[in-house]
Amino acid sequence: MTISDETLMAYADGELDAATRASIDAAMLQDPDIAKRVARHRALRKAMQGAFSGVLEEPVPERLIAAARGQNTAPKGAVVELTLAREAVRRKTSLRSGWQPAAMAASLALGVGLGFLAWQGRSGLIQQGSDGGLVARAALAEVLSTELSDDRSPALVATTHLSFRAKSGEYCRTFSLTGTDASSGLACREGNDWKIMALAESPRAATNSGDFRTAASADSPAIRAAVEASIDGEPLDHAGEIAARQAGWAAAKR
Amino acid sequence: MSTNESVQNIQEQIVALLPRLRRFARNLVRNPHDADDVVQIAVERALLRLDQWRSDARLDSWLFKIVRNAWIDEVRARGRRARIFMPEEAGEQIGESSMEREIDRWSAETALGRLPEDQRLAVSLVLVEGLSYKDAAEVLDVPLGTLTSRLARGREALQAVLRLPEGESA
Repeated sequence: MTISDETLMAYADGELDAATRASIDAAMLQDPDIAKRVARHRALRKAMQGAFSGVLEEPVPERLIAAARGQNTAPKGAVVELTLAREAVRRKTSLRSGWQPAAMAASLALGVGLGFLAWQGRSGLIQQGSDGGLVARAALAEVLSTELSDDRSPALVATTHLSFRAKSGEYCRTFSLTGTDASSGLACREGNDWKIMALAESPRAATNSGDFRTAASADSPAIRAAVEASIDGEPLDHAGEIAARQAGWAAAKR
Repeated sequence: MSTNESVQNIQEQIVALLPRLRRFARNLVRNPHDADDVVQIAVERALLRLDQWRSDARLDSWLFKIVRNAWIDEVRARGRRARIFMPEEAGEQIGESSMEREIDRWSAETALGRLPEDQRLAVSLVLVEGLSYKDAAEVLDVPLGTLTSRLARGREALQAVLRLPEGESA
């Protein structure tokens, strides 16, 4: 009786149905070679069970436990505000589907709003819009509308990092504010406004003012997560950004 | 939508799974710190998508899939696979004779680390993490037949280099 090795493998892994299993049981009794092949599969299974088991004994880093509990305390950047999400939770309005995961994030993130007060006093770059959400104003709005990603000039109030189209059709951009408190965010174009969808703040990391990208980069996990939750396809390339800018960042008709 | 208690409950289940997520990530990323970064990104992402988890699905498989996808995205985004991620072809080619001499020093981990990525992940999910073929196929986004053939090829390669207590004769 010939039995394929894949079948014997599945037997050793407990993947066969009762009837096939019984036939292998019988074959093993009759044919020592089959029994031996099964034994090899079992021995390998046993050997591999121990692979990387050392990791299981290691203490889990605090940052991972915090992340699993939705506590964004990692030094990489703390969520201080997820406007849209907060609004959604508060008003229970119906969200555009693409943004729903962000709502979840806000309800989980500890310390939402902690940093919010700090934003209020900031030179008017981010202000509360008429609907209660945050909106980019003044020089920040200008940077978002005119600058291409990673066109860095220390004279500007912010640097944009990534532009993409959201599932809802509108254009969104990540940015970081120039300066010492290393804040980054995600803004989406709605009408003539850049609405702030998420902000993250990294503590102290970028006090060396020369390199304002260090901690303020759009790489903050919170911002990255917000991008992940909303992006439709791939980020815009250079040509895509130029075209979008030319079109005034107007949302695509869907 | 989950209530606060059930969200908290799932969060604690995720905390309990962290050691296994870290172990799985070590199969993707050589550097332990980078592996933990991938786990962290995945966990943050999972929390954002809790509403996508069907409670009839295994939480561990669902998380493994997110870890794997986070890794793929990281590789793509950072474009530094060659530096931090496990190089598939970097292992020196072991000739037959030297292999026989070295064979006792080969641990399961080393052997696993030298498998091509698709086989490595199949072996890792089924033999290390104990997932069913069906769940493992789902994590890797491949049909069941693809999973079993990767697993079979991976096992064959491992059996060729590992000295196992039973079934040593070919």
